[in-house]
Amino acid sequence: MLNTWLISWRNITRNKKRFFLSLLGIIIGVSFITSMFIADKTTKDVFEYYEQMYVADADYWFLSDEYSFSEDDLLSKIDDSMFSESLLVLDKQAFIEISDKTLSQRSVRITGVDDQNSLLLKLPVISGDLDNEGLVIPHVLANLLNKKVGDTIRFSGLGESKISAIVEYNQLLASPSNWESAESASFRIIAPLSLLREWTGLDGEVSYVRVKAVNNGDKIYQELQQNLINSNIYVQPVVADDRQSNDIDGLYTFFYLIAGLSMLISGFIVFNMIYTSVMERKKEFAIMKSLGYLKSSISKLVLYEVILMSTIGTILGLPLGIFLGDLFMKTLLNVFEFDMVYTLNWKLPIIISAILGIGFPVISSLFPIYNAGKTSVLLTLKRNDETPDLKKQLLLRGISGLGLLVFIFIDHSISYIAILLSLFLLFPFLLIGISKIFKSLFKMFFGYAGVMAIQSLLNQLNRNSNTSAVLGIGIAIILMLSSVIESAPESYAEEIRNTFGGDIRITSEVPWSNSDITTLQKYDSILNVTPLTEATPITWNTIKGELRQFSIFAINKEKPILFTEFNEKYVEKVINSEPSIILGQRAYDEWGGKIGNDMYINTPLGKQKFKVIDVVDTSHYSGYVGFMNQETLNTEFGWKNSFDLLLTLNDESQEKQIANQLFEDFNLHLSKIRTVNNEINSKTAALSGTKNLILVMLVLIIGLASIGTANTLLMNTLERRAEIGTMRAIGFTRQQVNRMIISEGLLIGLSGFIGGAIATITLLYMMSKSTALENFISFQVPIFSLILALISSIVLSVIAAWISSILTSRINIMSSLKEG
Amino acid sequence: MIQINNLKKEFKQGKSNIQVLKNVDLEIQEGEFVAIMGPSGAGKSTLLQLLAGLDVPTEGEIIINNNYLHEMSERERTIFRRRNIGLVFQNYQLLPNLTVEENIAFPLHADGKSSKDKMYVITELLESVGLSDFENTKPNLLSGGQQQRVAIARALVNNPSVLLADEPTGNLDRNTAEDTLNLMTKFNHQYNQTIIMVTHDIFSAGFADRILLFKDGEVDQSISRKEENYAKYMANFMA
Repeated sequence: MLNTWLISWRNITRNKKRFFLSLLGIIIGVSFITSMFIADKTTKDVFEYYEQMYVADADYWFLSDEYSFSEDDLLSKIDDSMFSESLLVLDKQAFIEISDKTLSQRSVRITGVDDQNSLLLKLPVISGDLDNEGLVIPHVLANLLNKKVGDTIRFSGLGESKISAIVEYNQLLASPSNWESAESASFRIIAPLSLLREWTGLDGEVSYVRVKAVNNGDKIYQELQQNLINSNIYVQPVVADDRQSNDIDGLYTFFYLIAGLSMLISGFIVFNMIYTSVMERKKEFAIMKSLGYLKSSISKLVLYEVILMSTIGTILGLPLGIFLGDLFMKTLLNVFEFDMVYTLNWKLPIIISAILGIGFPVISSLFPIYNAGKTSVLLTLKRNDETPDLKKQLLLRGISGLGLLVFIFIDHSISYIAILLSLFLLFPFLLIGISKIFKSLFKMFFGYAGVMAIQSLLNQLNRNSNTSAVLGIGIAIILMLSSVIESAPESYAEEIRNTFGGDIRITSEVPWSNSDITTLQKYDSILNVTPLTEATPITWNTIKGELRQFSIFAINKEKPILFTEFNEKYVEKVINSEPSIILGQRAYDEWGGKIGNDMYINTPLGKQKFKVIDVVDTSHYSGYVGFMNQETLNTEFGWKNSFDLLLTLNDESQEKQIANQLFEDFNLHLSKIRTVNNEINSKTAALSGTKNLILVMLVLIIGLASIGTANTLLMNTLERRAEIGTMRAIGFTRQQVNRMIISEGLLIGLSGFIGGAIATITLLYMMSKSTALENFISFQVPIFSLILALISSIVLSVIAAWISSILTSRINIMSSLKEG
Repeated sequence: MIQINNLKKEFKQGKSNIQVLKNVDLEIQEGEFVAIMGPSGAGKSTLLQLLAGLDVPTEGEIIINNNYLHEMSERERTIFRRRNIGLVFQNYQLLPNLTVEENIAFPLHADGKSSKDKMYVITELLESVGLSDFENTKPNLLSGGQQQRVAIARALVNNPSVLLADEPTGNLDRNTAEDTLNLMTKFNHQYNQTIIMVTHDIFSAGFADRILLFKDGEVDQSISRKEENYAKYMANFMA
């Protein structure tokens, strides 16, 4: 009995090189998409893990808009039997004593806790013990200071203590990992509460208290809120939401796009292989049919071939995908300077990738599978193959392609897909045009072989232009992403400068007094001092009822300018609306409502509704933030104090000297100095790393597309065995034939690049004009990326062609003549 | 003149070697039209391939107009072939994507010559083979006889001293075959080209000056038109 699977295996491996290249296409496609799924899932897990570690078992926390409040005062207002666990916390800004570092670099926030082993505080210990006697420091700081458990750290003006434990990364102790980053971010250390109180003289004081309730629920929360009315203490639920400090998720849209693209290219490679294989075996199918095979039996045979090949490719691609996913995670965390540990989440990603890896090639091959079944016995055996009407096809492609170009003028995300589709459809015309333009150049460099190459390419116009188009689309998408990343630093810098509110933001542990402000106004280099009120953390409900938390900034009629189009949006809307809030874009997206809807926010007076009156672009917390009228913030939240000041300088270049001066003058309570340039640098540093990652992907995508080129050229060559044999017999040398094949590859690569560049420029132009993107991207041709794309497409296409030319040079003239 | 000395050709088949040509010694004069006949597997086509430089002998010498073909590299053989040898095949072997004119001009271009400079040659050849009106036609639109005439024109475009034809009339009907052979004979007389033609067909062989009968890789008989018993031999063969 015939074993269909065995026959399918023989069929797909009949041409080993073509099988290998198609398999390679699937393997790369599957591994790309697997790695992206794994990286996405793992990143989500990692952030969730660290969020949960930060939240621990806490349900609520008590805070104040003062630097600290009295522990006894809180206890007098609430019934502590409502809680099964509590953690008392006191924060204090200090400076580590190191001789060769600046004050900014030595800045440290010491968090005093009454129980380092509390259930409300999860510390991942690397070495030492949480003995409540010494310091707990993050390992990045231990590395920088070259300290180990048992060593001591001294703090200026406070005292010294031994290190009792070194811990892994966690949000509470997130610290800079190098001295350069330490210029703009403080280190964090945990100390016993009693020791910190002793050092600071803040007996009985706490910055906040975390608690675990015996019975959780709205009733208890409301009771707590009631108890704290008319005090400077307020209560908020503890919410696992770190979106203010992490906006990495948006980046995955980019990478998924790239992974999807690689899957598309793989699908095209498989389509090409199966289509050619079907065309080659038409006679075989006709014989089968004449012997009684049904249309469905033949289609089934080809379907088995695709399933077999995609299954093998997927099985081989998945482990590679897991490896790439791990590599990608490492690179990404490194780019964003996240000092986190992670466990790869690969189970669900490999199931999804396996389904896609097997399913996508099958979907891509549906047409040839169907085509195999409808082989005509009579026409095929008479060798009168039904050749499709190329002119009609071309006309159809041309009209559809030109029609889709209308989308250039439509400002919608679907337009970008339409333009890429248009490029695909119009590619035969582009290939014809490029062939004509480059004909003399090819003739000059490759002689008659170059001319023959052009002729051969145009003879298989659809196949070759599709191959080239896939390369072009790959180039266009990656170049577009690269341009977005390239434009982003400039756009971000502009946005940060426009919405930072000044040149320097200084944060104090105690509210800034009028005398502090007067002192600062006397600085020669300071032009202006503006108080900044940030209420945090404020919890709120999304439209779906999920709890989230962010900060709310207070805004006045004129200042500070914390978002774009401030005057217009503030003056027109905030003054006359009561009570209302303006949301940053990310907060607005997460909230899920529409402008004009009410947003429910937890205030000391209970859950209140605020009308969302606008959504704005702001650099603060990457848009995961709200803005409220100063007066509303005072009355609804009781938030009166400003712990931050925004300074506008006469001369921005003096910011470093001023920073040192500020630390000297306000060292008792100044906790943080952040300049607009610090903000720009930290935001854009990750972008340059991301850009490099995208450029690596550009080369990989071109590489994958080149496998498609190699496959196409291989098929072209195999189909032309007799023709090439004749050429060799009547005068072409082996070198001339090789030159011809390499010229074909070069032309495919060159056309792919030119098509890709045209599409990139069109798409960038559309993006720069898009109102949806609000001038995020300026129209700028990405010269460097284009050069990289040109070099890689030419080099990789030539390599692909060279692989085919090896096969060509092995063609036996005599046997190929017999075939003809 | 073509001189073949002690020519041997072996092919590997599995682990054993098969000797297709055994010690062939032959001399063919310039301008001579030779037909090679013999049963399948006698070594006729192999000899033609060796003469064309498409393959190399296992042993022996092939000297064409004082050029030692057996000593040449593959590249040298290709260049020698395109300049000195015209090839005609049974299944025409025209390049399907080139027009008639382009097919004829191919060996010129392959040799780096411009077809513009040699346009008169192409025009003359097209006229000679009676296809002046078909210069821009693709081969698939021509009949078998027309295609073979294009193949002959292509074989002659470089004015080669030797024309090698492998079953040139094998796919043609008698009338068309006769036309083709007349054409070859015409060129043979006109340009004094040496023609070596492999054929199974005694009618076609009758156009040659000399018939070589191959058997088991050797020349079994050689009979010239000038010989007295030629007519008798042909009559026997026909019978």
